Amino acid sequence: MEYLSLFTKSIFVDNMIFAYFLGMCSFLAVSKNVKTAAGLGVAVIFVLLVTLPVNYLLNTYVLAPDALIKGVDLSFLSFIVFIAVIAAIVQIVEMVVEKFSPELYSSLGIFLPLIAVNCAILGGSLFMQQKDFLNIGYSLGSGLGWFLAIVSLAAIREKMSYSNVPPALKGLGITFITVGLMGIAFMTFMGISL
Amino acid sequence: MDAKLKETILNPIFKGNPITVLVLGICSSLAVTVTLKGALVMALSVIVVCGISSLILSLLRNTIPGRVRIIVQLVVVAMMVILVDQVLKSFEATYAIDKQLSVYIGLIITNCIVMGRIEAFALGNKPWPSFLDGVANGAGYGLILLIVAFFRELLGSGTLFGIDILNRFGYVPNNLVILPPFALILLGCIVWVQRSIQKDLQEK
Amino acid sequence: MNTNSNVYTIIYTTVIVVVVAALLAFVSQSLKTKQDANEKAETISQMLTSAQYGTKAELDKLGNEAKLDKYAEEIAEAFVINLEGERVSDLGIARDNIEVYSPKALKRQNYNIKGGANKTGEAQIPVFIFKNGRTVVPIYGAGLWGPIWGYISFNGGSATIGGAYFDHESETAGLGAKIKDDPSFQQEFVGEVADFSSANVFDIVKGGAPKDAEGKSVVDNKIDAISGATMTSQGLDAAIDTWLGAYAKYFQGVTPAKQHCGKHQHQGECEGEHEGCDGNCEHHNHMEE
Repeated sequence: MEYLSLFTKSIFVDNMIFAYFLGMCSFLAVSKNVKTAAGLGVAVIFVLLVTLPVNYLLNTYVLAPDALIKGVDLSFLSFIVFIAVIAAIVQIVEMVVEKFSPELYSSLGIFLPLIAVNCAILGGSLFMQQKDFLNIGYSLGSGLGWFLAIVSLAAIREKMSYSNVPPALKGLGITFITVGLMGIAFMTFMGISL
Repeated sequence: MDAKLKETILNPIFKGNPITVLVLGICSSLAVTVTLKGALVMALSVIVVCGISSLILSLLRNTIPGRVRIIVQLVVVAMMVILVDQVLKSFEATYAIDKQLSVYIGLIITNCIVMGRIEAFALGNKPWPSFLDGVANGAGYGLILLIVAFFRELLGSGTLFGIDILNRFGYVPNNLVILPPFALILLGCIVWVQRSIQKDLQEK
Repeated sequence: MNTNSNVYTIIYTTVIVVVVAALLAFVSQSLKTKQDANEKAETISQMLTSAQYGTKAELDKLGNEAKLDKYAEEIAEAFVINLEGERVSDLGIARDNIEVYSPKALKRQNYNIKGGANKTGEAQIPVFIFKNGRTVVPIYGAGLWGPIWGYISFNGGSATIGGAYFDHESETAGLGAKIKDDPSFQQEFVGEVADFSSANVFDIVKGGAPKDAEGKSVVDNKIDAISGATMTSQGLDAAIDTWLGAYAKYFQGVTPAKQHCGKHQHQGECEGEHEGCDGNCEHHNHMEE
């Protein structure tokens, strides 16, 4: 039950994009069409799902004070270790995507390696380190929340390409404003406690 | 200075601005622009980090194995940021500055501008232009940050750099402005203004 | 040279990782004593702020040594208690042996108070009594992005709050960071009375703290949350409840005697030199509540 409520909560109430505004760069840049957006969304789900447990184990058994050797506090390394784990997993994803879907690989462009600096992923690890819990429901839920956000924005943008937007606002400008409005809409979930 | 270098410096400030044109570093621009002071600290740190890490990685560029380049880049960037943090923390005079900065350490490491410029520029160019490119991108980013922070602090708190400006005239701070979505709406407006002036950036 | 061969890649990565880790470990170890000294002075100035020995900005103008001097001069007693409110051991208060709890030490005790997998032993929490009669206790918890902690002082062993100072690691500037940067938020705590008999010792409520006719917060255990910083406010509320809850037995065991108060106290009247040792007149009538 706890897993289920945390899972739902991390999708809607604590949505990585609309509640914490993490991982915006790739979110905005790779949401022109639903297909690419879904591809990146899946990549983020996967990376979050794998990195969170790995980082949790590293944090508990290596980095925490007295964890590895008594009296040694390695927590000053936690940023660099988390980042290295994320980067390694992103690199694996990059190689896999390049091999199996060159089409998706070229449409993601620079934003695939940039998942490594996607704040949503480091943010997820840090939230987990701070709250000291390992929960697959959370790591899957926050990934799904990100997926949901990017796919819905992509769908809106696809429709919006037929709208009559002032030329200077077309594309990026109106996307910023749309995301702002979506963010305000998602804030209504904030009061819900599960 | 030859024209190409000049272009490297000037381009990121306006025409190829990392935030409004390249769409990099958005997360941090939402988080740190509630106050002007925060925006300024963040802007300066990103200029320094971006410049120096571009320089280091440009020096290393011919030795980095392609398959692990992301890890190497991030490790170098993170190491630099943590080093600066640790050193600032140790001196009595700089401890107070570090307390301001340590809030942003995570945001600086994960700022996609740093990674984005290393990946797109520093790995293919000589050290000196890479350094300038890093600094200029940091500056272009800082410029947008300060514009957004100016409006958010003025309208959201009625102050600038913590000094009361509007409240004394009976202004009631607008709480919507300090919520992150408003920063996005402001960014949208900045893009609007920029593309009205620079028509070649408009999308079809 | 073929930079894409497996051997090269592995050797390169190993070298980079070892060099970086060694460098960071070296820097972190060699600077540790200096960092600890800075942290200690910072902790002391935060406690002095909550005990109302000046604003944080004023205290920060003093150097590290001067802060330690001031602390050694003003501290009356410092000791460690357990959750039953019993005194377990003493903390050093002499100038060359000042013992305080760093945020890291508070974190460890936070686990011990809450129990669970990270518990390392019985909770041992510090109490600092200053010569102006204020009892300072720490709080620790999680904000939105990282840990938050702080110090709350109580007037002469009573449940009336005399001052508060909070700090954080990485809350959002202008929103959650206001717990530290906004003195008016910390000022709201002054004069409120913690309710040590309930599990909800102190409440930070969203826009609903009871107000009197002039719009000032009435004396109870509720203050307004920071608007726009829901998560930080909730985190601070939880941290205060957890920690003050841990001190409940201690405070219930101490009668609001003014043993550390130099002057004589006159309940009810309060002009000029008849001021109580806490200097806050309007709160005396609530002391007996």
